[in-house]
Amino acid sequence: MMHRPPVAPMRKESLTYEDVLRIVELVKSTRFSEFRLKVGEIEVHLRRRNGASGAASGLQVAAESAAIAPSPSGVPGRTFAPDARLVRSPMVGTFYRAPGPGTEPFIEVGRHVEPDTTVCIIEVMKLMNSIAAETRGVVTEILVANGARVEYGEALMVIGPDPEDG
Amino acid sequence: MKRKARAGSKRFDFVDVTLRDAHQCLWSTRMTTAMMTPILGAVDRAGYAYINILGGAVFDVCVRYLHESPWERVRLLCERLETPCDALTRGQSLYTFELFPDDIVELNSQVFARLGVEVLTVYDALNDNRNIVSSVRSGHAAGMKVNTMMTYTLSPVHTDAYYVERTRELVRLKADFISIKDPTGLLTPERGRTLFPAVVKAAGGVPLKLHSHCQSGLAPEVYEIAIQSGFRYGYTASEPLANGASLPATEDIGARARRLGFRTSLDAAALKEIAGYFTCVAEREGKPLGRVAAYDPALYEHQIPGGMISNLRSQLQAMNMEHRLPEILEEVPRVRRDLGYPIVVSPFAQYVVTQATLNVVQGERYKTIPDEIRKYAMGYYGRLAAQPSDEFLERAGIQPGDAVTERPGEHIEPWIPRLRKELGASVPDEDLLLAAFYDKPLLEPLRKRAPQYEFRTTPLHELIRYFGSRDDIEYAHVRFAGTEMTFSA
Repeated sequence: MMHRPPVAPMRKESLTYEDVLRIVELVKSTRFSEFRLKVGEIEVHLRRRNGASGAASGLQVAAESAAIAPSPSGVPGRTFAPDARLVRSPMVGTFYRAPGPGTEPFIEVGRHVEPDTTVCIIEVMKLMNSIAAETRGVVTEILVANGARVEYGEALMVIGPDPEDG
Repeated sequence: MKRKARAGSKRFDFVDVTLRDAHQCLWSTRMTTAMMTPILGAVDRAGYAYINILGGAVFDVCVRYLHESPWERVRLLCERLETPCDALTRGQSLYTFELFPDDIVELNSQVFARLGVEVLTVYDALNDNRNIVSSVRSGHAAGMKVNTMMTYTLSPVHTDAYYVERTRELVRLKADFISIKDPTGLLTPERGRTLFPAVVKAAGGVPLKLHSHCQSGLAPEVYEIAIQSGFRYGYTASEPLANGASLPATEDIGARARRLGFRTSLDAAALKEIAGYFTCVAEREGKPLGRVAAYDPALYEHQIPGGMISNLRSQLQAMNMEHRLPEILEEVPRVRRDLGYPIVVSPFAQYVVTQATLNVVQGERYKTIPDEIRKYAMGYYGRLAAQPSDEFLERAGIQPGDAVTERPGEHIEPWIPRLRKELGASVPDEDLLLAAFYDKPLLEPLRKRAPQYEFRTTPLHELIRYFGSRDDIEYAHVRFAGTEMTFSA
């Protein structure tokens, strides 16, 4: 082993980031099962796993997004009474029955509502939209679970005529 | 070698954003502490006047996605860096878009100072400086310098006179620095020629900083105008993390400043090392590098940040309504006018875009108005730049008597007494603040032990880490100048 002078010698003996990036570029742009490089002081020898490809992460993303299946946009196979009115979602978003976690729901089935009664919140792009009944009557059914993702125009609730209105 | 400043020689200095805004813009804020620590030595040698290490998104992403304690990151960076560190908050909203009471804002300033932050940078997204008063006062009381920012935007009401008035308010608040923040890169050299000298004059000796993004491709020229107009500092990023949605490159602005006859303290060798290192990190982590953006005149109309357009496009795709994107972008300026010209920056960018989308999708303007937009229009979050349109106010059912005129912080009761009661009197301030910002389940993962950080690196080391990160490589052998290394999986 040679004695090293205490001060860095003039001869190039450190690899630069430029060198590293050139090697990375070579490795990335070459289809290889075996890779050998010798330039000046540096030697690199790589072997690639059989059949390995870069597509694995893409597949994983696809599998993840398939797992979050959206709820059906209509209410298939359902018909409603001719005098029933549906409250629909104005946008794709998230349905909330209460103004906040741990608070009372805006309405329950059987409750009387006026056109300006807030019946739920739809969160759209992180903003909260209070949804009004837009009709007078009684809530006869809530079609969507709290926290569910809803589609544009999806029916959220059914409002029937109030029997007391006679 | 000691470089002595010649008397009267002009200087221009730099605030680094590589560890904060740069990766916020280009890497979705996903730079971990472990990616920063190996290069901190070079960052310290680079000659920056200040290093910005924290902002709202960084804090939030640390907690929600990286599962790192943001306080530990701040503590570690302040400890390791000799260059003074700068941490940014959104004033009364701190790291989120909600409003917090004054006692939480004050405690946050105290925690910053204790962790070693030397400059508190603060802004309000409405430029309502009442929303930064509690930050400025508590920042000063805790012994920090305070850099106040005003946000630039284009509108008929955001004139040079408007910014001069804001500057005077900031001088009265005793700001140590005043910054112009241009989050969407809307500044042009032409506007800079009138705006910058006016603001420098109004600042009356308080040093100015420019913080402008590169979406329009014009930022480097805008920085030149700022340098010539008497700005003292520019926010910039290391070259691989500069340009595009990020800020200009330190290397570029440094060269421009020197060409204009200004001295800088930049160290070219350290900057080169930082740039090389982060290019390697980008390769290893599959992150994009900043590219110089082409000039886009449409940007000046809708003013929407690029990230938000791609987000909107994917949401519209989910609704099979992607073809309506041009209509929505066209509706944006109209909504913005109706809302009194909010600055198209978070959270108001979301307001404008969401309302425009609702208007177009529902085929009727303001049929649905999100609750937050209603509150904004009543002045709940602060003073509006201009009065909303009559049509909007009528559809929102807002009467003149509904207007909120007091400082937004006034209508929030103190939280600390309640939180201390809940968490126990001995709870550390850092934990108390996290509990004020986040629900408990989100904080659980922060309890895990921090990894062992590396505090040095070499190009050879980074090459080996790169090979190690590729799972398609089963065998690697590297030999260099007496070092030999083999690994196989």
